[in-house]
Amino acid sequence: MPIKAQLFITCLAEQFFPGVLKGMVELLERLRVQVAFPEEQTCCGQPFFNSGYQTQARQMARKWLEVFGRTDGFIVSPSGSCVDMVRHHYPHLFPPGTPEHRLAEETAARTFEFTQFLVQQVKVTDVGARFPHKVTYHASCHLLRGLGAREEAKQILRKVRGLELVPLSTEETCCGFGGTFSVIYPEVSQAMMVAKVKSIEATGADAVVACDAGCLMNIAGGLRKANSPIKAMHLIEVLTAERGTP
Amino acid sequence: MSTNSAGEDILAKVRTSLKRGPGQPVAPVPSTARVKPRVAGAPDAEIELLFTEIGKLNGVTRRLGGRDDLKTALAELVKVEAVQKATCWATPDLMTLDVAGTLKALGVEIVSPTAGKHQVAECELGVTGVDAALPETGTLLLRSSPERPRVVSLLPRVHLAILRRTALRADLHQAFGEAKDAGYCVLVTGPSRTSDIELTLTLGVHGPKALYVWLLDES
Amino acid sequence: MSQATLPIDFRTNAQHVPPKMPASVQKATAKFLGNRAALVEALGNELWQTLRQAAHDVRLHAITNLDQYLEQAERAVTKAGGHVHWARDAAEANRIVLEMARHHQVRKVVKSKSMATEEIGLNHALEAEGIQVIETDLGEYIVQLLGMGPAHIVVPAFHLSKEEIAALFREKLGVDAPAEAEKLTQVARMKLRQEFLTAGLGISGGNFLIAETGTIVTVTNEGNGRMCTTVPPVHVAIVGIDKIVPDWESLTVLLKVLARSATGQKITCYTQFISGPPRADAETGPKESHLVLLDNGRSRILQTPETRETLLCIRCGACLNICPVFNNVGGYTYGYPISGPTGVLFASQILGVKAAGGLPFASTLCGACNDICPVKIPITEILLHLRHRVAEGDEQEKAAAPSLMRTGAQVGSVALRTPWLYRLGSSLLKWAQAPLKRDDWLAKLPPPLSRWTMARPLPAFAADFRSWWRTRSHKR
Repeated sequence: MPIKAQLFITCLAEQFFPGVLKGMVELLERLRVQVAFPEEQTCCGQPFFNSGYQTQARQMARKWLEVFGRTDGFIVSPSGSCVDMVRHHYPHLFPPGTPEHRLAEETAARTFEFTQFLVQQVKVTDVGARFPHKVTYHASCHLLRGLGAREEAKQILRKVRGLELVPLSTEETCCGFGGTFSVIYPEVSQAMMVAKVKSIEATGADAVVACDAGCLMNIAGGLRKANSPIKAMHLIEVLTAERGTP
Repeated sequence: MSTNSAGEDILAKVRTSLKRGPGQPVAPVPSTARVKPRVAGAPDAEIELLFTEIGKLNGVTRRLGGRDDLKTALAELVKVEAVQKATCWATPDLMTLDVAGTLKALGVEIVSPTAGKHQVAECELGVTGVDAALPETGTLLLRSSPERPRVVSLLPRVHLAILRRTALRADLHQAFGEAKDAGYCVLVTGPSRTSDIELTLTLGVHGPKALYVWLLDES
Repeated sequence: MSQATLPIDFRTNAQHVPPKMPASVQKATAKFLGNRAALVEALGNELWQTLRQAAHDVRLHAITNLDQYLEQAERAVTKAGGHVHWARDAAEANRIVLEMARHHQVRKVVKSKSMATEEIGLNHALEAEGIQVIETDLGEYIVQLLGMGPAHIVVPAFHLSKEEIAALFREKLGVDAPAEAEKLTQVARMKLRQEFLTAGLGISGGNFLIAETGTIVTVTNEGNGRMCTTVPPVHVAIVGIDKIVPDWESLTVLLKVLARSATGQKITCYTQFISGPPRADAETGPKESHLVLLDNGRSRILQTPETRETLLCIRCGACLNICPVFNNVGGYTYGYPISGPTGVLFASQILGVKAAGGLPFASTLCGACNDICPVKIPITEILLHLRHRVAEGDEQEKAAAPSLMRTGAQVGSVALRTPWLYRLGSSLLKWAQAPLKRDDWLAKLPPPLSRWTMARPLPAFAADFRSWWRTRSHKR
């Protein structure tokens, strides 16, 4: 039975990092995962939930569950925060014991962030990638703490040929994105982003890798503002930069 | 006790919030809220550990083999710390050791702890015993009683605690079991300190600036 | 600390953070976090997690049986010869202390550090009646001379240099001491000793209140807590009703996690256990011992299960130390004596979300606080509930956000969850950005997105995955 993955592309990745999504499709297919894309998907509703609009978040969740609930296989996303929303918050949006709650729980249980999917379900860490550069890793908060994914991304990065992984002293410190936080408290968000960028520059890396579109938007923008040649990349972009045999 | 409407009000609000009725019993404290007590090591190792911890916190430790040692040590302390006035606990142990008498013979004026706070505040030295000693943290538990006035370990610049092996306890579980019904007590761990100014450690803020802990073994 | 203007305006406060503040904050927090990490490593992570769970469970048990434990504490304190007073709110607590001061003809009060007394504005209430109040914790003493409140609950004056403190002592105390920590501390020691010895009343807070024996527990390093509660003839402790623990055994766990989490010490210098006044005069200590049990909104916080665990807080300050927001703005930005994540929780619920302004949103929800909290308060979960209270209201308060926002949220959610509207939006954004786009970036955008671009450019809108997928599927 081939593993089946329903793509949960997320609104931010769709708008800003379509290359990551295409890379994810190609990579999963190379790993013989059967990939499907439920076209009616939009946004998981996290911005509403995080802003306190649980009524609207519930409406978004219903729509999302309607789209993904009727699929089979795993649901895979390149974004830790969106998966955290589905796994941890969706069930709480519906009263326990109701069919909606059950659907939320069942669907959440098969929803995975990309690196966790690769390591835990496809059971690979070596995808035959090559990226002969110095790389440092930023651990997105929701992936790290929300989903408890401490090691998966780094395990995968260590298997990339030619890649030198250097530690980031602020690896686990928030980059300052925080969704709407970045526009509600722009000065504080900026200060946090600048600290993150400085810390990345101090590693001497050619690229900083993260697994969340929000973090990447923020960090990439910050690096550009600082006129830095360092690239901010999604892990998937590293894995699909050059291809070899696993 | 007379009816306290504010108290009744608050309790009523608490009960409403918790959906509890008056007099509703408390479930026992859950077992997950407890941790296992420490098992003490061998006595000599415990003393070693206690002294190491006290040393880390700038306390000064010493082993005394008997009363002659004590007299010598007291003479040195009086000189080093320029002690002119001292105040002491009046526990049977300290009375038997006649610490006050020894100090007097060294020219130190003995002030009664009940002489009044202004007088006691002028003492350079306060001498106490130790009711319980906790090696893991280098902590001394001092009780309070007519024989153990609180100000003795608080107001003078130097605190000397005379420790007996029998005071050693494995940890707070044991120490608390004995102390909880005995009124006031204080856990003393090193001399008084602060990092409030630029995070620089300084000793002797309001409590004693120096802590001496002497283990007195007698054959 | 003077009552900040309400509602609290976190953004404006953040815009006015003194330039040197973030570096000072980070220096202090790095030290505490480093010390803490060393002790946690020495204990081993498994034991540390067991202790955290035990600490959480004992505190949760205490507050979910709070009525019984409060009654038990009251009985025990009274039996031990102490006096128990109950204060429903700040005004009542201040009245009680004022009456006590008047009754004993007190002209001067010495205080040890207590967030509860800051919360109720006790100093101002006493000073307004001509009673001199002296903060005796060194950090509090310093900021009091400045006319400020604490910048951090554990190290109130960490942000000041020794030069600034020396200048302050020169100006306010008329003492010329060199700018060295040791010398400045000695100045404070000498000045404050006289105050301890001549004050008519000593006021403290309480880190814990043991229901079993009615025992007030104070955790300090300097000795001022002992001085305030031993030397003046009358002692009063202001203790929030949330500080209850069932028994002495509970403290074997809590004392293990408190100092480690706060400053990275195994235990503080002095942990005091006060059970009423001394049983005999010869013990030396206050003639009268009073306990004021303070509600001031805590019983209301209990009501909502989703936010109830706010009351587990043991005021260690670890969440302040780890919070990236706090580390960039410092304590004053929060407009409340307790700052950082736990401060947001308290301010939002003691003052109410309307008065707390944007505080519940002053977080990226990174969750570092959850992981470091020694009593495992689910801080970000509570923040999410408080945001829900702001946006939509709940059984405690009606919505504080303007109804226009709610309309906006509804319109936004319809647009975002209707596939054709969503796809239309994607296309429109790509089209509309054309004049602003350069090298795949949008450097400057109109409000409200200008709030993003003021800090860094936005990547260009580039949605083309769906058409790529469709083309690909058709090829196969």
